Amino acid sequence: MASGERRAPTDEALRSARAAIEYCYEQGWTDGLPVVPPLNELVDEFLGQTARDPGEVLMTVRHLERSCTVRQAAINSVMAGCKPDYFPVILAAIDAFASGAGMVTGLLQSTTGQAEIVVVNGPIRQRLNFNCQDNIFSPGDRPNATVGRALRLIIMNALGIRPHVFDQSTQGTSAKYSCCIAENEEDSPWEPLHVERGFARDTSAVTVQMVRSDLYVEHRGTQVPEEILLTIADSMSYAGMITQITEERILHGSVVVMGPEHAQIIAKQGWSKHDVKRFLWENFGKTKGELRGFGKVARDLEDKANDAFIHTGGSPESILLVVAGANNAGVSTVCPSFTVGRAGIGNGTSRIVLKRD
Amino acid sequence: MADGTVFEKRGIPAAAIITHTFTASANAMAQRNGFPDYRYAMIPHPLSSLNPEQVKQRAHEVLPEILAILGIEEKARTVSAAAS
Repeated sequence: MASGERRAPTDEALRSARAAIEYCYEQGWTDGLPVVPPLNELVDEFLGQTARDPGEVLMTVRHLERSCTVRQAAINSVMAGCKPDYFPVILAAIDAFASGAGMVTGLLQSTTGQAEIVVVNGPIRQRLNFNCQDNIFSPGDRPNATVGRALRLIIMNALGIRPHVFDQSTQGTSAKYSCCIAENEEDSPWEPLHVERGFARDTSAVTVQMVRSDLYVEHRGTQVPEEILLTIADSMSYAGMITQITEERILHGSVVVMGPEHAQIIAKQGWSKHDVKRFLWENFGKTKGELRGFGKVARDLEDKANDAFIHTGGSPESILLVVAGANNAGVSTVCPSFTVGRAGIGNGTSRIVLKRD
Repeated sequence: MADGTVFEKRGIPAAAIITHTFTASANAMAQRNGFPDYRYAMIPHPLSSLNPEQVKQRAHEVLPEILAILGIEEKARTVSAAAS
């Protein structure tokens, strides 16, 4: 056996591991999948990746009187199966969530049942092997799978928002298991998300938003930007993503994860990222007549004409656009969001700070 | 549910109303806020899809329970019993 290879565990070690895994299930610490038992020495390895105090409170849910400390974040990151050097990414993700989507009280408990999407930018993607190419939304890559999972375990264990009790999701979404992608900055024709938000390209950052699901979009047969973008906008605007239970029209947003092939076709025709967001926003919505047919006309739209276009988003900033996935087909994804572009909360992007910084 | 217990803690009488599908989270919330036996009013689910007439009907049906929670119904009965 070459040096550095791990020796296969003994049967006795495996029996102990099984007992520890079952213990974690019995304590109610899991998301339904086995977790890595959080030995103190493992937690300490994670805490060693940051200069932040283990007792520092990262976020609080006031009405539940629950908080997550740096130590609790480390414990749940161990359980999620992260490696210690992922921990600064997770800390930045909690900061991003706490200052952004997490400020909308009660959202984590809502019947809507949304997931947190984590988008990683900058050099840390290569350093830690985050996947930004094929299968970004699928299983297979440890950083993507475990960082997204860590956030959900933090919500369940540290914040106490668990199914059947405080998490009231009617159905939820499988994205709640884990939804962490990295932007494919190398195949993108535009500036990456963190640069758009004011960070230097060689700074690493993470963005967190809440999304209701991820919806598949394809257009393989055109080189006309408008045809691709209208297809994406139509997919963003489906009737079921519109919440309408109040007198006033409720604004929404969307995370658009554009595949590199679509992005390159569009950019080749001279479209900037700003042009794309504006066009998508202009076509993100439905006419009043269509909304009436779906029974989703807000009372404050009564004076609008039947053919008036009712925007679902408040502005082009209701669209968060990233480029990710393989450059092998005309496929993109849209994720309806209640928090992208919402007034009164942060934009959900935080710098990843390494201990040596 | 959280609002009801917060009001009560501040000495402001409150009656919380839930639809019956939320009893698990309602009880958890009341327990969380230190009111394990918190009494709330319950109406049938759903509510958000009802028309205004149906909502009024629900309000009429739950009113006696709300008065009882606020202690008004008992007081009204005591006063009328003393007067007779």
